[in-house]
Amino acid sequence: MADSQDIQTATTSIVTDAQPDSKTRRYDRQLRLWAASGQSALEDAHILVISGTATSTSILKNLVLPGIGKFTILDHAKVTPEDAGNNFFLEGPSSVGKSRAEEAVRLLGELNESVIGTADTSNVEELLEKNPAYFSSFTVVIVHNLEPKLLDKLSTFLWSDDSLPPLFVIRSAGFLAEFYIQFHEHTIIESHSETAPSLRIDKAFPALLEYSLSLDFTKMDPTDHGHIPYVIILVRALEDWKNSHQGKPPQTYAEKKEFKAGVLAMKIKADEENFDEAESQAYRCWADTGVPSDIAALFQDPQLAALKPASPPFYHLLSALQKFTLEPPHTLPLTSTLPDMKASTNSYIHLQKLYKTRAEEEKTHFKSFLTVPIDDALVDSFVKNAHGLKILRGKKWGALDADPTSLGNALTSSPKQTAIHLSLSALSSLNVKQPGIAPTIEALTTEAQALLPAGNALPDDFPDAVGEIARAPTADLPNTAALLGGLVAQEVIKVITKQYVPIASCCTIDLVETWTGVI
Amino acid sequence: MATSSQSTDWQGRYYHIDQVLDKPGPRTDPGFLAGDGVKDFLRNQAKILVIGAGGLGCEILANLALTGFKDIHVIDMDTIDISNLNRQFLFRPKDVGKPKATVAAEFIMNRVPGVTVTPYFGKIQDKDDDYYMQFNLVICGLDSVEARRWMNATLVNLVDPENPESLKPLIDGGTEGFKGQARVILPTITSCYECSLDMLNKPTAFPICTIANTPRLPEHCIEWASVLEWPRVQGDKKLDTDDPEHIGWLYTIASARANDFNIEGVTWSLTQGVVKNIIPAIASTNAIISAACCNEAFKIATSSAAYLNNYFMLIGTDGVYSYTFEHEKRDDCPVCGGESLELSISSDFTVEQLIELLVEKQDIQIKKPSLSTPTSQLYLQAPPQLEEATRPNLTKRVSELVPPEGEVTVTASTLPFSLSLRISYT
Repeated sequence: MADSQDIQTATTSIVTDAQPDSKTRRYDRQLRLWAASGQSALEDAHILVISGTATSTSILKNLVLPGIGKFTILDHAKVTPEDAGNNFFLEGPSSVGKSRAEEAVRLLGELNESVIGTADTSNVEELLEKNPAYFSSFTVVIVHNLEPKLLDKLSTFLWSDDSLPPLFVIRSAGFLAEFYIQFHEHTIIESHSETAPSLRIDKAFPALLEYSLSLDFTKMDPTDHGHIPYVIILVRALEDWKNSHQGKPPQTYAEKKEFKAGVLAMKIKADEENFDEAESQAYRCWADTGVPSDIAALFQDPQLAALKPASPPFYHLLSALQKFTLEPPHTLPLTSTLPDMKASTNSYIHLQKLYKTRAEEEKTHFKSFLTVPIDDALVDSFVKNAHGLKILRGKKWGALDADPTSLGNALTSSPKQTAIHLSLSALSSLNVKQPGIAPTIEALTTEAQALLPAGNALPDDFPDAVGEIARAPTADLPNTAALLGGLVAQEVIKVITKQYVPIASCCTIDLVETWTGVI
Repeated sequence: MATSSQSTDWQGRYYHIDQVLDKPGPRTDPGFLAGDGVKDFLRNQAKILVIGAGGLGCEILANLALTGFKDIHVIDMDTIDISNLNRQFLFRPKDVGKPKATVAAEFIMNRVPGVTVTPYFGKIQDKDDDYYMQFNLVICGLDSVEARRWMNATLVNLVDPENPESLKPLIDGGTEGFKGQARVILPTITSCYECSLDMLNKPTAFPICTIANTPRLPEHCIEWASVLEWPRVQGDKKLDTDDPEHIGWLYTIASARANDFNIEGVTWSLTQGVVKNIIPAIASTNAIISAACCNEAFKIATSSAAYLNNYFMLIGTDGVYSYTFEHEKRDDCPVCGGESLELSISSDFTVEQLIELLVEKQDIQIKKPSLSTPTSQLYLQAPPQLEEATRPNLTKRVSELVPPEGEVTVTASTLPFSLSLRISYT
C-alpha cells in the first residue's frame, strides 16, 4: 500500500521534513520573535510610503528585509544632487535626474526578491483631490515631512472610517524628530507580556490539591523527597497552614516568615534544593490570584456593552472571558505552561499533565460562553495570552495640538518631549507661511507660542529644541533617518502582526543627548 | 589610503550634513569649529575602525559612509550564512559563503562614491597595538562578549597619559530582538565594558545532573544529545552547529530521548536555537542601535553636538521605552580601575572552589582562569606540564597558600588583562 511505511522510513522522513526550507532559514532570526503567524501577516501587507526621502527608504529597508508582501513609493519628484548625497537607496550622481520613486524601488527591491515594490510617480496632491480611495487599499500609510496642508487632508480622510489604514506621521529636522501613529483601535492578543501567568497555588484546582495531599512526604524515598516540585510542596504546606489557621493563608509579616521557616523545616536533608525553591516562591501562597487589574479594566470597554454578532472576534472572546471570571474561582483560565523547577522527570511530567488537563477543561468551559463561532486556533491563543491582552485607542493626527487640555498636560508631564513636538509643529506652519525662507529662532518661537493655549508658557527646554531646528531645518541627516527607519519599522511590524505593543501616542527623539520619549 | 574628495564630491552632496557642520546648535560645545576645518577633518583625515560586518556592522558602514567618513576599516572573521539575509542588507543570496568584511566593503564602495572601506577577514586578536593606534575611533557591532572584552581591554591598555592621541573612543552597540543598547566608552575616563559586566544576563546553563538524570524540558534533551551523546557516539569528530546533518543528528537523538521521557516540544528550530545559542535579530532594531552608534561617532569626530553620556538602552517590545544614563566607572574594575578586587572567602575554601567561584561570578566571568601569587603559581591551565605540576594545589585550601590580605593574580588566555584579587578569610 502506498501509504504504509516501515519505522525506519517514517523516522527518517520526519527528520528530513523537520529540516527547515530555505525561506524558514532566511527568516529564522525573526520567526523566533513573531512566528509563522506574524510572518504571514507581514506577507499579506501592502505598505504605502509617501516620498522617497532618506528617512522613507530607511523605514522601507527594515520592512523589505523581513519580507513584507508589497510596498509602494508614491513620489513624483526627480532625484536631486542633495538626495543622492544622503540616501543609501539612490546610486549617487548616476541617479540624479531620474524618478526618485523608481530608483528607490529598484534598489530596495534588491534586498529581497520575494517582495513586490511599485513606484508610483503620481502627484499626492492630485490623488488626494481626485481619488482619495487610492489610499484606502493599503495596510498602512507612512508619510515623512509631508506638507501640513496635504497631511491634514490625508489624515482627515484616513480617520473618516475605522476600516481605513493606520497612518504613520514622521517629522524630522537635523538631530530632532518625532513620529505619531493615527489609528482608531488596535487590539492585541499576543502582546508577549513579560509577566508570567499565575500558577494558582493559592487557589489550587481539585486535581492539584488532591495530588499534593495524596503524597506521604514523611515516608517517601529520600531521592523522591528531594525531587518533589515546589508547586506541590507549597500547595501542601498552604493547605496544612490553612487547616490550623481558620482557613486563612499567612497574612502578617510574622506569619509569612513562620510559613517560610515551616517549608524549610520540611527538609529531610540540608541540600534539598526543591525546598529552597519552595521557600523562595512562597509569596505565591498569599499573592491572591484574581483577575489582573489591567484585564479587569478591559471589561469596562464600551465595545463589550454594545456587543453584536458582527463585532470583531476579539470582543466576543473578551466578553466570554468576562463571563468566565464572574464564576468562582474568579480568575483567568489556567495556563498550561509550567516553568522549570527542581523535580524528577516523572514528578514534573505528572504535574505538567495535571496543569494541561485542567487548562483544557477550563478552555472548554470558556468556550461555552462564546456566542458566535470562533476559530479554535484563535481561542487557544486568546486563552493562552489572556493575562497580556491589550486594547489601544488612538487619536486623529493633530488632536494633541487641537486640545488645550492635553497640550497643557503634556507641557507639565513631558516638557522636553513637548518642546520637540512644538518646535517641529512651528517649523511646519512657518514653512507654509514663508515657503523657501530659512526660519529664525525668533520666528519659530513666535509660531510655537501661538500653538499654545492662552496662559501657557513654552517649556524651559524649548530653546534647546528650537535652536536645533533653526540650525538644520531641512536636514534629513543619515543617522537620524536610519534611527527613525528602525523605530518606525518596529512599530509598523507591531501594528501589522498584532504582536507586541505599539505606541498609542507621539514619540519624540533627541539625538543630541540621545534619548527618546513619548508624550 | 587618502581619497581625493574633490574628484568624487558633487555640488549639493553634503547639503543635509553641512547644515549641522556650518553652525553650532544651542547645546554645542563652544570649541566646535564650524565650517571647512571640521569638514576637512571628517572627510580627509578621520580614520575609523568598525568591528563586525554583521547585523550592526552592515548598518554602521552604510551610515558612516553617508555621513562623510571616507577612510573606514572593518574586521570580521565570519562568512555569510543564509540566515543573515533577513537583516544584513549588504549581502545577497549569491554571497552566501563569502567573507562578510570583504563583501560589505565592496558594496559600500560601489554605492557611496569616494569612500574607501578596507576589509580584514580575520580575528581582532590578529592585530597589534600599532594597528589599533592608527584610528581615531572604534565602533563595535559584535555579538560576542569575549570579543568585546578583548577590544575594550586593548583600547584601555593603549592609553598613554603622555599621548592624547592614544585615547581612542570606543562606541559599542548590541541588540536582542526588539531590544538593544548603545554606549560611548572613553577608555580610562568613563566606565568601560568590563565595568558593566554584571549587567549582562546570566547565560542559561543546565546542571549536568539534570541533563543526565532528570530531564524535564525539551532543552534538557537537546543538551543531552549535544553535550553527552555527541562526544560519546561521534568520538573526536567536532560538532559543527552550522552543518544541517549534525543538527539533524542531534534533533533525532533529542527527539528519541524526549519520547522516552514523555517530554514534548523538541523541534528542529529549538534544537538549532539551543546548540547555537541563537539570539533573535531583526533589521529594525539593528538600524536603531547602529544609527545611535554612528551618530555618536559623528558627534565625537566633529564636536557638532554633545555626545552620549554614556549609555542608551532601548526596549521596543511594549511601546518605545528608552533609558539614557551615566554608567559609573568601577574603581575595582580589572581593566580600567587600578584597585584590586576584594574577595572574602571561607578559610576552608580549596583552590578548586575558588576557581568555580570566579567562573560563576557575574562581574568577573572568566572561563578557564589560571591563578598565581607574587611568589608562586597556584594553578595554571596551560601548558600541560605546568598544569600537571600545579594540579595537586586544586584540593589544597587557599588559606594554606595565600596569607590574609594576600594578592592573587588571575589570568585567562581569552582575556588580554589580568585580574588582581585581594583575598580575606571568614
